[in-house]
Amino acid sequence: MINAVLVFNNNGQPRLTKFYTQLDTAVQQRLISEIFTLVSARPSSSCNFLPLPPLLAPANTSSSAAHNDAPSLVTYRHYATLYFIMISTSTESPLALLDLIQVFVEALDRLFENVCELDLIFNFETLHAVLGEMIVGGVVVETGLEKVVEGVRSQGRVAKRPVNEGRSGLAQGIWAGR
Amino acid sequence: MASRRRAVILDPSEDITKVFGRKCSLGWVALGIAGVMCKEEVYLKSRWRRNFQVNAKTSYSWTRGHTSHLWQHFNLEYGHTGYDASIGLHTGVRHRAQESAASGKMFEKDIYQLIRGLRAHKGNEPQYIQESLKECRKEVRGQDMDQKATALLKLVYLEMFGHDMSWASFNVLEVMSSQKYLQKRVGYLAAVQSFRPDTEVLMLAENLLKKDLNSPDKATMNLPLTTIPHVINPSMANSLLTDLLPRLSHSNPTVRKKTIVTLYRLALVYPETLRPAWPKIKDRLLDDNEDPSVTAAIINVICELGWRRPQDFLPLAPRLFELLTAGGNNWMAIKIIKLFSTLIPLEPRLVKKLVPPLTTLIKTTPAMSLLYECINGIIQGGIMEAADGTTEGDDIARLCVNKLRAMLVVEGDPNLRYVALLAFAKITASHADLVSQHQDVILECIDDADISIRTRALDLVVGMVNANNLQTVVERLLHQLKTAGKATASDEPTNDRGMHDGIIPMADDDEDDAMTRITPKEPKSAQAPPLPDDYRTSVIERILEMCSKDTYTNMNDFEWYIGVLVELVKQCPISTATGDFGSHSETSSAKSGVADAIGLELLNVAVRVKAVRPEATAAAQSLLVLDTRHQLFPTSNSGGNGVLASAAFIAGEYADMLTNPETILTSLLHPSSSGLPAEVLTSYLQAIPKIFVRLTSEQLGVWEQSTQSRVVLLTARIVHFLEPLTLHPNLEVQERAVEYLDLMRLASEAASNHQTGVESDVPLLLSQAIPMLFSGAELNPVAAAAIRKVPQPEELDLDAPINSSLNMILSQAEYDTDYADDDNEVYRLYHEKPSAVATNYSRAAVDTLEPPETSRTSSYQDTRPEFDAEAIERKKAERRERYKDDPYYIDSERRSGTSTPMHNILRSANGEELDVDSIPVMELKFDSRDTASDPERSRAAKPVRKPKRHFEIAADETLGGDEPSSSLPTGASKPPMSRAKKSLLEVDSSGLSALSLAESADARNGGTALDYQRRQAEEEEMANAMKEVERLRLEMQRAQERIQPRDTAEEGMVVKRKKKKKARVEALDDQPAQEDAVGGEGATVKKKKKKKPKEDEAQASTEQTQEGPEEVVPVKAKRKKKRQVTFDDDDAAG
Repeated sequence: MINAVLVFNNNGQPRLTKFYTQLDTAVQQRLISEIFTLVSARPSSSCNFLPLPPLLAPANTSSSAAHNDAPSLVTYRHYATLYFIMISTSTESPLALLDLIQVFVEALDRLFENVCELDLIFNFETLHAVLGEMIVGGVVVETGLEKVVEGVRSQGRVAKRPVNEGRSGLAQGIWAGR
Repeated sequence: MASRRRAVILDPSEDITKVFGRKCSLGWVALGIAGVMCKEEVYLKSRWRRNFQVNAKTSYSWTRGHTSHLWQHFNLEYGHTGYDASIGLHTGVRHRAQESAASGKMFEKDIYQLIRGLRAHKGNEPQYIQESLKECRKEVRGQDMDQKATALLKLVYLEMFGHDMSWASFNVLEVMSSQKYLQKRVGYLAAVQSFRPDTEVLMLAENLLKKDLNSPDKATMNLPLTTIPHVINPSMANSLLTDLLPRLSHSNPTVRKKTIVTLYRLALVYPETLRPAWPKIKDRLLDDNEDPSVTAAIINVICELGWRRPQDFLPLAPRLFELLTAGGNNWMAIKIIKLFSTLIPLEPRLVKKLVPPLTTLIKTTPAMSLLYECINGIIQGGIMEAADGTTEGDDIARLCVNKLRAMLVVEGDPNLRYVALLAFAKITASHADLVSQHQDVILECIDDADISIRTRALDLVVGMVNANNLQTVVERLLHQLKTAGKATASDEPTNDRGMHDGIIPMADDDEDDAMTRITPKEPKSAQAPPLPDDYRTSVIERILEMCSKDTYTNMNDFEWYIGVLVELVKQCPISTATGDFGSHSETSSAKSGVADAIGLELLNVAVRVKAVRPEATAAAQSLLVLDTRHQLFPTSNSGGNGVLASAAFIAGEYADMLTNPETILTSLLHPSSSGLPAEVLTSYLQAIPKIFVRLTSEQLGVWEQSTQSRVVLLTARIVHFLEPLTLHPNLEVQERAVEYLDLMRLASEAASNHQTGVESDVPLLLSQAIPMLFSGAELNPVAAAAIRKVPQPEELDLDAPINSSLNMILSQAEYDTDYADDDNEVYRLYHEKPSAVATNYSRAAVDTLEPPETSRTSSYQDTRPEFDAEAIERKKAERRERYKDDPYYIDSERRSGTSTPMHNILRSANGEELDVDSIPVMELKFDSRDTASDPERSRAAKPVRKPKRHFEIAADETLGGDEPSSSLPTGASKPPMSRAKKSLLEVDSSGLSALSLAESADARNGGTALDYQRRQAEEEEMANAMKEVERLRLEMQRAQERIQPRDTAEEGMVVKRKKKKKARVEALDDQPAQEDAVGGEGATVKKKKKKKPKEDEAQASTEQTQEGPEEVVPVKAKRKKKRQVTFDDDDAAG
């Protein structure tokens, strides 16, 4: 299952935090900053899998029986100014998770039209709604782009960011990354 | 610039509505006006300013839940002209707004304004956030629901940055219960983000969740469905189940799939809930007409459940197979394959069934993720092993490995390389040979730029090495370590903040940044980035692990290995970070830096492989010599220090092989040595006298002036070094220093006093005594488990106290010294024991000491009346129990003559043929068999050895059979430990493993019946009861009918009744009068008169006199009547 979904920007400022286990706020912040430290040190050519941050590192390495419950996989993708991170157990497929992040971002792009970080800052409620259509309680419930978008739209209008924020000509948006 | 930013704080729509009215409708009008009149900017501005001034003070309290919606509508209707106009309009307004804000009125902010404010207060965020939090605190406690919701949304936003909002949990609940969907949504979001296991209001939320689950509105219904997984606890799970189950058959597929997942999370906290839910979920899965996305969600859930209890899901295999071959959904196929890989071990027939479709998938699928998961499933499910030998199995194994190889060499996708390495690592356990065929590409990955890939490759390589490729692999890793250069402090990722300006995510970054930074940060320097320390540590550990695997099975060349070890010391990371990166036995036991592990390895080789002992000693020597140390340890205070302890031990133990003992001793005695860590220093201290012996014994036979002066000089130097160490804070160092200091002083004395001359002998102390301390039997490796296998001799009683009155002696000693040493009155006042106790003790002491001939124990026993024999016996028995297995516990009851208890153990364990005295140093050497002569051992130690040079590797010595080390208690105690300390984000599903879905029949009998089940049971019971009642009613009716025709035969019945009444009356008769008074005693009397007139008459009269006539109350009259009726019956009968 998926243990957490995080979005933060190049400076480590969180844009979305969703933990599928209840965690103390302080611990959440520590985890975010640990992952940020790991992820920000990686050149763009490296693969999209992170080693486990110290907080998640297993207490002793000999555990093999209960391994499926503990998070073992940190997958990330970097889009423009944003990092999308998924922490999951070994029951998830690493490559499929990368695709899932892609679907997430595509859904956001569909909803916001040329999504950029500012859209997510100002509409973080929508961000949560999109995620809620895709993942419930750590289990993926929808991977179809159309259905996700439709599900979010059925909950109400998706606001565009206030127009006086940012400048015009953001056509590249989030896709300018990779 | 700053002022421009400030301007944005206000939302134009808000100002408009504020100015124009308090109500929504008015706001609408206002917006309309604004839109229409926007072109007449100047006019509007002036008018606005006026209005604003008028209204500003009164309208601030207008809440803003609507405004953003209004603004959206406005947006919609008037389009961009409206926007532009309003911005123009807005700029005119802002100064006013600022003025009024400055004048003390605080604006309430909505979420947009909060975010803008954060962005505007760059560098000053903490203060701004604190202010905002304060406002939110006030607003969230207000009455207005809109305001509450807005404040909550702001809090949720701030919570993301680490500002705790647990204090608002009750307000969260309030907003959750709002009637409006948008507010409700905010409430639910806040609950998801902020509720923790200890949130108390959760109990109150239960009914709300139930209510919303049953809401007719789909959107509302979805809110609890997505929230419950985050907040669920066992008691809630129990009661919510009833409301969740019907949702499984909801018409909307979104609701269905979310319900399924929610039910899964319920089962995680309360496994029993799965029992009623499972059949329904299964029905959904088996339903061909089910929405595919629901099916996919079910598969996801089953995949999570599956690995815990695969046997419960075997019956689903046909359906899963059908779904897999039907294709269409790669996501689902991946999960199904994952699920199958857990099912295959239980059902071997699946292998045959699965191989064809998987092969087809591998060959045809365009989706790389599915391809990979197919291979992964084949590996994890053990298909390779299961199908081993058959052509089919060989084919698929080759296919997999080739595909994986292709993934490794593919250009430009590091992700594929990473996962391929993961998969390879899983194959190594079973098909190491297959993997090592691809050694070339795998070794390439060791030098990959990406450290994740490197780490994976490293893991893989450890499993892959054999005698043939070991040297290649290690050389390659060493090369990497050498060329990469050490990470300096600034290169470390934690210190490297060139790209980002702060690790603490506080608030918002520059708006420009958020917009313009399109390209990801530029990569660092292109060539050979410095290796991070933990990776470096890990590489060293892996090298050691590879080389020492299975007692050096793969090692062909120990001289080379010693060279590698010395080289590794140079590559030690600077900081002595504890490296327990991998499951490396050496380091985990040493619990310290990687340098220690290298040292231990060197020691291990020196001890085990006699052939290379000189080389090992030379290596130790090179490490110890101060002059060369700067070459080996790049920095003065490097992490390589840990190796010195082992090096010093080797140098001391094998001092005979030292080529240059003088230099070594000089290095050891160097003043800088005393600054070394205590562990190293203790080892140094042990080595010094050994080397001293080596140096002095060289001149044995001749005792001349020069020899004498040399020895005296040596001892003087050692004494000089040891003296300050007698005050070392570490006790071990201190003790060794004191011991050897005295020894050296003795030696010095002996040497200087001894007459010199050609014919005079070497002093005995130097020639015999001191060397004897360090020589004797050779040290051999002993298995860690050997000590536990020492059988305990029958007669050994480990529980008898060494000295049964130890406590008393101690207190006695204390008292004595106190008293004797100090005459100071003040001191005595504070330190002397209370007199009563003191006298008591003193007398006891006198008694005990009086008869010196008698054995100590008995005399102590006698003089201690407070300890009766029984108690001692009991204590002894307890202790015996406790120390039963401790061979070091010395029994006082045992005769402790010439042989120590340890000696006894040995003797009884090995029988008489073993001469224990021949093993003076290492008493644990129970079995002095030569390793070579041990067939088992040598088979284990040298199977694959290549004949390049024959090395004899001493294996661990142990006692008894060759039990694997896992039989150690430590090995057994590990799993629970890991269980206890679960990972941070882990969702514990272990509860599920105890739940069998098969035995749902007897679930109802279980003690912990679910709410849902209980309700079901109750309903059933109620239905049964109703049936019973109905049955009884019918029966009665029938009985009635039967009675009617028999009316004539009333006689019998009447008789029966009469008898009954009679009995009752008699009982009444016996009772005292007061009770009787309730019912008509007249009747009694009357009746009794009839029966026994004489006797009763008297009693009746007394009763009547007691009661008096006024006792007759209307109620009683009634009863009397009734009674009389019965009596009439009575009479009739009689």
